[in-house]
Amino acid sequence: MLSLALTGVEVGFPGLDTPALNIPRLGVAAGGQLAIAGPSGSGKSTLVNVITGLERPGAGRVLWNGTDIARLSESARDRWRGANVGLVMQDFHLFPGLSALENVLLPARLARVADRALAARAAGLLAEVGLHRPAQKVETMSRGEMQRVAVARALLRRPGVIVADEPTASLDPVNGTAIGALLVGLARRSGATLIVVSHDPALIALLPRRLTLAGGVVHHDVTEPA
Amino acid sequence: MLRFILADLGRMKAGALVIVALVALAVALGVAVTLQERALRLGSARAADKFELVIGAPGSETQLVLSTVFLQPAALPLVGGDVLAALHDDPRVAWAAPVGFGDFHDGTPVIGTTARLISETAPGMAQGRMFATEGEAVAGALTGLAPGDEITPTHGELGNDHENVRYRITGRLAPTNTPWDRAIMVSIQSVWRVHGMAAGHDHAEDEAHGSFDPDAEGPRQSADHDNPESAAQHLVEGDGHGDLDSAEQEHAQDEGHGSFHPDATLPEYEDWHGAPGVPAILVKPATIADAYKLRQDYRAQEGTMAVFPAEVLTGLYATLGDARQVLAAVAAAAQALVAVALLLVTLTHVGQRRRQIGALRALGAPRGAIFAMVWGELFALAAAGIALGLGAGVLAARLLSAAIAQRQGFQLPVTLTTGDLAGLALLLALAALLSALPAWLAYRQPPVASLRG
Repeated sequence: MLSLALTGVEVGFPGLDTPALNIPRLGVAAGGQLAIAGPSGSGKSTLVNVITGLERPGAGRVLWNGTDIARLSESARDRWRGANVGLVMQDFHLFPGLSALENVLLPARLARVADRALAARAAGLLAEVGLHRPAQKVETMSRGEMQRVAVARALLRRPGVIVADEPTASLDPVNGTAIGALLVGLARRSGATLIVVSHDPALIALLPRRLTLAGGVVHHDVTEPA
Repeated sequence: MLRFILADLGRMKAGALVIVALVALAVALGVAVTLQERALRLGSARAADKFELVIGAPGSETQLVLSTVFLQPAALPLVGGDVLAALHDDPRVAWAAPVGFGDFHDGTPVIGTTARLISETAPGMAQGRMFATEGEAVAGALTGLAPGDEITPTHGELGNDHENVRYRITGRLAPTNTPWDRAIMVSIQSVWRVHGMAAGHDHAEDEAHGSFDPDAEGPRQSADHDNPESAAQHLVEGDGHGDLDSAEQEHAQDEGHGSFHPDATLPEYEDWHGAPGVPAILVKPATIADAYKLRQDYRAQEGTMAVFPAEVLTGLYATLGDARQVLAAVAAAAQALVAVALLLVTLTHVGQRRRQIGALRALGAPRGAIFAMVWGELFALAAAGIALGLGAGVLAARLLSAAIAQRQGFQLPVTLTTGDLAGLALLLALAALLSALPAWLAYRQPPVASLRG
């Protein structure tokens, strides 16, 4: 349950006059659900990188519950991200040769935080996303199943925020709808803040607040009344 | 972590196998060269162990040693029988025995010597007993002959049969792990007789002066003399001559091979006075000091040469050592080449995995874990290659030794020393260091690379 506050964030690229991202002020309440849309090159990915700590902005502050992750060291940001961010990516990034359960546990194991309780939680999460063969090798799974594994992995360490980058873009409509509903439902139940980058109208429609980026600046910021 | 590394290697099985094989081959090359050279040194030192001092006629010291210790066929000049007699009577000598070669049976050298030499140099009989008459012979451990077998020697390795000369094997020796295991031993007296130069024979005087020149006696050259290899050893100056002692004349007529008496018992006491020439005399000095004195005396004496086989071999090893160094350098260069090639491959590989590595980081894996993973994977491959290479190198050296033992009859003991293991440990350390380079690159990889191509 993390609240986000961006102030004066600017990300520039060498050789470009206008910054790739320029957000003077943006806030997301703890437990809020936000969709970010916009054409490619509009700064969506850069925004995701900045709020997850993958990229340090050239200027500005990125406050998560008051912690400015832009000022953390690289290792500290890795640690912070591991503990607080559940990441779901377009290409799943599952590791072949490992089972669904092992994939869910891998980042936690590499960070040396996996214990028996977490392993049990991983199995429970797999069941929750609708997978009943935790020992199945991921390379033998369908794309829909793979994204479910990735969703379970994102939720493992009870992150305060779930960030999904085009989670449905590489899925067929049926699976896309299912994954979208799963994400929104799981985030709501766990109380985690949910930030989804997508141009999938069906998925965007599930989220109450929609942000549209264009040319690195916020173009629209609409919240549907509940 | 381990599961992940294993799964990852399992995914790239073919590539991983090629890398392990490359490392293993390069390591095996170095190991085999080192081990084989050492085995050769150890093996030949052991073969020469019982040959403290060898006396022969002036000529090549190396050839004298190679012919006596390793039974390498060669035409050696003869040293006079009086030298043998003098050595026998010398108080500085524990025992001295003649060694006469030149005859073969099926490629196996037939050596004329004494029962004393055999019992002093071999650990004992494995089967049967020592020869007691001129027609009896003792077989080396690896000749494949057993008591009761009969052999006919040929003159030279590919030469003509000594017709009607038959030796009966009475015993087989326990292995000495020297080339002598592949030889058949007969009494020197019988060799002299077969070649028509028995003691008391009027040619004995002629022989005693030493150097032998086959061309000097042109008319008597026989077919096998034309081939320098088969003319390995010629004790044979009396060959075909009829002017023998009257007692031996009847045999001379029907055999043309001197006077071979298969049933003639050997003298109980060795008395070499008036003995014919021999190519080499093996001497066991009474003390080390005597050994040096004897060598000095027989070096100074006209018509003789005295060598310590161990010393001659040391000289050979020095040459061998140079060859080993060249080979070792080649092996090291091969290892360096493999290391560079692997570094290139792994750097490319890490580059190709930027996204995967970035994703792990994005998902919260610490940088240290990424480093450990890449490093662990590479080091595991290198270590497996080094371990396999060690095994393959030892195996190759063993097989080579076995092949040489099969052909030459002398053991080349393959031994690993702590020095070898230290060398391999160094190689492992180097592999660990080299593996760290791609791992460092992976460590430095920004996690942003993971999201979307």
